[in-house]
Amino acid sequence: MAKAVSKIVVVGGGTAGWLAACLIAARARPGALDVTLVESPDIPTIGVGEGTWPTMRRTLERIGIAEADFLLACDASFKQGSRFVGWQTGAAGEHYYHPFAVPVDGEPRDLVAAWDGARPFAETVGPQPRVCGLDLAPRQRAMPGYAGALNYAYHLDAGKLAALLAAHATERLGVRHVRDHVVGVDRAEDGDIAAVRTRDSGAIGGDLFLDCTGHAALLIGEQFGVPFIDRSDVLFNDRALAVQVPVAPGSAIASTTNATAHDAGWIWDIGLPTRRGVGCVYASAFTSDEAAAETLSAYLRSAMPEADTSQLSFRRLSFRSGHRERFWERNCLAVGLSAGFLEPLEASAIVLIELSLDALLENFPATREGMDIQARRFNALFRYRWDRIVEFLKLHYVLSERDQPYWRAHRDPASIPPRLAELLELWRDQPPSRADLPMLDEIFPAASYQYVLYGMGFAPPAAGAIRSDGVAAVTSQIRQAEQRARALAAALPTNRAYLDALRAEAAPAGKRYAE
Amino acid sequence: MTDHAILTSEAHRTLRIRTEAAAELGDAMMCAITVPSEFRQVQNDYAILFRLDDTRENFTALAMFGFENGENLYLADGRWDAAHRPLSIDIQPFLIGSADEAGARQVHIDMASPRIGAGEGMRVFDDEGRATPYLETIAEKLGALDAGYQDSRDFFAALRRYDLLEPLVLEVTLDDGSTNRLVGFHAIDEAKLQGLDAAALGELHAADHLMPIFMALASLANLSGLIARKNRRLRHG
Repeated sequence: MAKAVSKIVVVGGGTAGWLAACLIAARARPGALDVTLVESPDIPTIGVGEGTWPTMRRTLERIGIAEADFLLACDASFKQGSRFVGWQTGAAGEHYYHPFAVPVDGEPRDLVAAWDGARPFAETVGPQPRVCGLDLAPRQRAMPGYAGALNYAYHLDAGKLAALLAAHATERLGVRHVRDHVVGVDRAEDGDIAAVRTRDSGAIGGDLFLDCTGHAALLIGEQFGVPFIDRSDVLFNDRALAVQVPVAPGSAIASTTNATAHDAGWIWDIGLPTRRGVGCVYASAFTSDEAAAETLSAYLRSAMPEADTSQLSFRRLSFRSGHRERFWERNCLAVGLSAGFLEPLEASAIVLIELSLDALLENFPATREGMDIQARRFNALFRYRWDRIVEFLKLHYVLSERDQPYWRAHRDPASIPPRLAELLELWRDQPPSRADLPMLDEIFPAASYQYVLYGMGFAPPAAGAIRSDGVAAVTSQIRQAEQRARALAAALPTNRAYLDALRAEAAPAGKRYAE
Repeated sequence: MTDHAILTSEAHRTLRIRTEAAAELGDAMMCAITVPSEFRQVQNDYAILFRLDDTRENFTALAMFGFENGENLYLADGRWDAAHRPLSIDIQPFLIGSADEAGARQVHIDMASPRIGAGEGMRVFDDEGRATPYLETIAEKLGALDAGYQDSRDFFAALRRYDLLEPLVLEVTLDDGSTNRLVGFHAIDEAKLQGLDAAALGELHAADHLMPIFMALASLANLSGLIARKNRRLRHG
């Protein structure tokens, strides 16, 4: 009789490992799965990504953590999209939004025809950019947890997220936590992983192993030797300098991740209630570490003139944009950085963890026999997804008119994936639509391509030979969206007011009497 | 304590109003004033009763929320459990002021109201000083309430003319055996209403009073709902 898949071993305790342990344990039928997480006590976690996608709301709800608890524990704030500054020409004040909310309903062709160009595309087709511009939260505190007036995600302290998930996994979800070094891997005769051997806790056997060991890729890379596909021929950035700047109490908290282009890369700026995480992403082939540090310092001086940045030290990270050829090999699934990493331009790291786990749990192998079929399907789906992300990130660069060597190299046709080149050709005559993105669960919908394309000044197509009949309907929806923007601007609190009120309410009630 | 001020975009540019329902925001009240023009909406959820003011001369119409002072049985868990709130509740903490030189009514605000928010709540003006959609709605409601007041004088005069109000004494024994009383209220006298002749009905109808009279009569069906709410609250402490 085929043996049921019941023992799950998660190797690695960062964001990926703890999300995996929590989601699997939370979604399992009681008693059906036994989840163990092995975490090396002295390997620091990278804490990639301080930005999530809206998927994180569903993930946390499934895990069983209340939104208010999460916001407080992770120093989190709300993210409603990205704001790209200086990507087109670098001229002062130039920017565009990629909001999480999709445009008003309508065929893409009607949508573009109804856009009169008086205001930028994103500001025309939905209310979210206006709300972002006012630093407003996407929800009111009286709303039920994880619900919002507008689609949203989070900015968070990734280290604190891992700690929150670890506590929840071990205290509420029955996950076994082994703090020990993995010193070896035992293979079964058929080539599967039978167990991971630890220094002090012996061998930990399992039916399915999740490789959440980060860049080390202990199982998928070191054990199975699944090749790494380097995508740095398309995405050149390979380094980042990161810094955290404390902010003054009461200061505004931005609703978007701000991504500001520079001569050889870009700078992220992520606002949390207590600090701003800022980082300079760059390509070492086009600039030096020293020049990048000066670029980052100059940004801090102009973006946070009131902050004392002289005492801050920059942390340098090196990375390679790319991913494994396969993610699920035999009885081992790579989740997180072990599967791959792309520059953080659209915060794809954490969402790929969530999507990988969703795919695993929605098609959970009942037995080892079924696992190879699931693995093949998983690998095909995620190769497709990584390819789409690579193309979507590249899209941000290829439409730029910036003149520096880095930006010119990004426009070199040899560096543009053929599928993207073909789409760009097509988009001269028609806007991005479902037809360009045929999968049911596309990682970026056509709307995302529209936001970037028209945000970067790409000319909307001329009216084609086929009549569009929906323009009047879309025009009327655009007017309604304007009214909605006014109503939301009046109704939503600022991020700062929301999060400060949340913190004040959570403060222990007895304290007032003690004072 | 109240602190009335004329609402202006200069003085109240960043003002926010808390619009949620809560006892600490002043919603713990057993009844609120309503006007005949909104009886049709109000009778869906509430019993409409009438009370003589202290001078024993003028009647006021009231939407009933409870049986004793401070008791609002529609208020639970931070929400107001009804589809419609009477205008006089909805417009809090705004009031309508006297007319200015041009004859336009000014919007006043009670700055001592607990509804004056800090960082959360509805903005009244946007950063440019334009009225927000929220204030536009408030202004509409204030206008409707004011017009309703003006019309209610005629309405009550007609009720008196035909002697259509009778004192109502409601005594209810609740599930726990305790007795609750509503004293000092009036309701539409159904027998007198049925006894009106065609000329009288025609006159009431022509003056638009007939519909609110029937709405007030129909609203008494909500008294049993109010008792049920009271019993539920007793059961759940």
